[in-house]
Amino acid sequence: MVQLVGPLSKELADSVSSCKILVVGAGGIGCELLKNLVLTGFKNIEVIDLDTIDVSNLNRQFLFQKKHVGKSKAQVAKESVLRFCPSANITAYHDSIMNPDYNVEFFRSFQLVMNALDNRAARNHVNRMCLAADIPLIESGTAGYLGQVTVIKKGVTECYECQPKPTQKTFPGCTIRNTPSEPIHCIVWAKYLFNQLFGEEDADQEVSPDTADPEAAWNPEDTAARATASDQDGDIKRVSTKDWARSTGYDPVKLFNKLFKDDIMYLLTMDKLWKKRKAPVPLDWAEMLQLGEDPRTRNSRLKDQQVLNVGGYSRLFQHSVETLRSQLADKGDGAELVWDKDDPPAMDFVTAAANLRMHIFSMNMKSRFDVKSMAGNIIPAIATTNAVIAGLIVLEALKVLNSDIQQCRTVREKHIKAPVKSH
Amino acid sequence: NMSEQKTNKEQRYDRQLRLWGDHGQEALENAHTCLLNASATGTEILKNLILPGIGAFTIVDGHKVTGEDVGNKAQAATEFLQELNSDVSGNFVEESPDKLLDNDPEFFHRFSLVIGVQLPESTCQRLGAVLWSAGVPFLVCRTYGLVGYMRLVVKEHTVVESHPDNALEDLRLDQPFTELRNHISSYHLDSMDKKHNCQLPKNYKEKEVFRQLIRDGIRKNENGAPEEEENFDEAIKNVNTALNPTKISSTVDDIFNCVQCENITSQTSAFWMMARGVRDFVQNEGNGSLPVRGTIPDMIADSDKFINLQNVYREKALQDAAVVSKHIQSHLQAVGKVINTNKIQFLHCAAFLRVVRCRSLAEEYSTDTFQKDTITSCMDSPDSEMVLYLMLRSVDRFYQQHSRYPGVYNYQVEEDISKLKLCVNSLLQEHGLSVNVKDDYVHEFCRYGAAEPHTVASFLGGAAAQEAIKLITHQFVPFNNTFIYNAMSQTSATFQL
Repeated sequence: MVQLVGPLSKELADSVSSCKILVVGAGGIGCELLKNLVLTGFKNIEVIDLDTIDVSNLNRQFLFQKKHVGKSKAQVAKESVLRFCPSANITAYHDSIMNPDYNVEFFRSFQLVMNALDNRAARNHVNRMCLAADIPLIESGTAGYLGQVTVIKKGVTECYECQPKPTQKTFPGCTIRNTPSEPIHCIVWAKYLFNQLFGEEDADQEVSPDTADPEAAWNPEDTAARATASDQDGDIKRVSTKDWARSTGYDPVKLFNKLFKDDIMYLLTMDKLWKKRKAPVPLDWAEMLQLGEDPRTRNSRLKDQQVLNVGGYSRLFQHSVETLRSQLADKGDGAELVWDKDDPPAMDFVTAAANLRMHIFSMNMKSRFDVKSMAGNIIPAIATTNAVIAGLIVLEALKVLNSDIQQCRTVREKHIKAPVKSH
Repeated sequence: NMSEQKTNKEQRYDRQLRLWGDHGQEALENAHTCLLNASATGTEILKNLILPGIGAFTIVDGHKVTGEDVGNKAQAATEFLQELNSDVSGNFVEESPDKLLDNDPEFFHRFSLVIGVQLPESTCQRLGAVLWSAGVPFLVCRTYGLVGYMRLVVKEHTVVESHPDNALEDLRLDQPFTELRNHISSYHLDSMDKKHNCQLPKNYKEKEVFRQLIRDGIRKNENGAPEEEENFDEAIKNVNTALNPTKISSTVDDIFNCVQCENITSQTSAFWMMARGVRDFVQNEGNGSLPVRGTIPDMIADSDKFINLQNVYREKALQDAAVVSKHIQSHLQAVGKVINTNKIQFLHCAAFLRVVRCRSLAEEYSTDTFQKDTITSCMDSPDSEMVLYLMLRSVDRFYQQHSRYPGVYNYQVEEDISKLKLCVNSLLQEHGLSVNVKDDYVHEFCRYGAAEPHTVASFLGGAAAQEAIKLITHQFVPFNNTFIYNAMSQTSATFQL
């Protein structure tokens, strides 16, 4: 293995410059990895990433600059690498690796695959494709100050899915709709609400009280009875949330009173739910207007890190609804907005709605900074961790290629010996 | 425009602000670092400091760029690196470190941190001496074949925010302050009798008794069966960690006993001022305890009760902080000084104050003061990373004798093996070290040919930059003082040499 170091052994150096490798992901790890690969002598690289460049990437994804924001990561990564290594042969795909075009044949065309991903679904997918194609895979990941690298080789090591991984947290519908007990439940509810009002409506993202909640019924027959609504809720049952909102002209006060007063009062009628839980306390718009700004928020902290009082979040709700309403109108008929944590009014809306709901359900409210973390599934990230991990990945890659050569050498020698022996 | 700039920065640095906060970012943006040698490792380190927004950097490199682009390495590197972040100012000096030390050693006094990469031993020693007396932290880094090496040289580095893993809460359940006691009395739980002389449960048996006490407190329904109460379950689960005795760690005690804490002068830093203020508090109003931290963990409770409880701790913490502040102010007045009182805001970290003191390079290298015992005992395992340290010292010796490193050209590899072996032996002999350095390592280091493979440079670049960020932001505890990375076995070790 010592022969790895400059100069690499002739065989390994040849293997490095001739082999074809696939890099899945051109983000934090991907940028560092591409740089290490070309500077180590890898020549034939294909890189794939479905994402575009965002400002918050620039603190670590060094192949991108401010002028590249909005462009394809894979494409810009390729162009930047070619600037310092013009002889590299790089193919970039602005696409999802889960696209069926990238079939087993595609994977078989590589000697090595390296993951630089940030989500489990894609990792599982690539793992299976590499097993099917019998191509070695180097898996890796980073989060904050932590990182890891693993080599996955069919028949030699366990694969990515051999060990059960903790499942992604999802919450039952009735927790989101009726009985939230943690801030995250309220944040998920607020994101659903955004989609119901401004985005693509999804039957799995209901926000109104769930009358079919099994916990709510004293007797099973009651569930059916409750399903035929009370006066206050009658209209909403037969009309979608979006249609109703539209009919009010997205009036923030009407929305506020339905979501944070009427719906809560309805929940209160499902009294079995509140036998052992603290009951929610409905809000009233008129009362909110009376509330001034909380004097405690006057400090030097970043605006985002302050926690407002319920009056402040009511006003934020109103402003963000008005802004989103015009965004929607500008887009024309049948338009839909897509929630984006980096779109300020969208983020304001979720911050306000989630906090109002938290307050109603007696939870401590959270700053915009914290809500953004949870709503946007933000993982802190820095350049150093990615640099360390990418260094490790290429070392492992060289070992994998080197052991392949050793194996080949053994096979070759056998062939040579055999004819001689048979004489 | 100022505010637009601020927002842009917040967006760009969002993912790292979530790690070290705005004050950490501010410290980074006020720092000016010097890099000696824009080699692969050096530029990797700088890249990792420029991307997060270090204030300024200066590259010192006398080498010329060979090949098509004839010019100066320092300038070329500066221009490329500058592209990574327009917020950062880059400078360069086309001069070898040795020349600079000859002509203008005070050049180095202006930096927050000096990073020396791929430096020969003699240059390292000279620079080390200059920086040691100037009180400038010095980080030595080296990529040598499949080995990475870092050495931190700083006389005294203080850390308020050490961010310990698994820190215990400061609940004061064993010594409730008056306001806490009063608050608890306002709850109507059936009283528990005082059987244990006001001592905390100490062992498993006693803790089980305590848990049972809690269980007995659970309300029962009409049938006499205990209700399912989440808050009681949580209490029982937390018996082990919530009942830790309130006491000051020996690390903090040592800090209190330092001469810097005792003798307050007009030169005293903010850290020692704070330590002294806290010590005064401990010895007076605190009755042997630190100021209350003021934070409590999330717990199952209704919102109002939780906020009230939180406020009891918070108010006490503020009270205690005001007392500490008064002590600090009186010291400041006595020496005629004013300090930015923002630095006093980290009193909740009082229990985790740390001071790192590294031995100088002179102490490490002198045959009188080198760490003979450490080296000898590590070498009981002949494949310990310590052997790589001895090999690096040996190739330095080779360089001194032959003005080159072993095995740089293929034809040299074989003949250099015996020459390098001589260097190893003389090193061991001079230091009276009877340890065994296997021939394998001598051969390996010849084959390395002093190469700087980019992939090892990338790893070391990340590790070194992270230590630099720790030093600059004074968050987390830097290593003390030698780090060795073995890229073959993917292992590493730290030693105090």
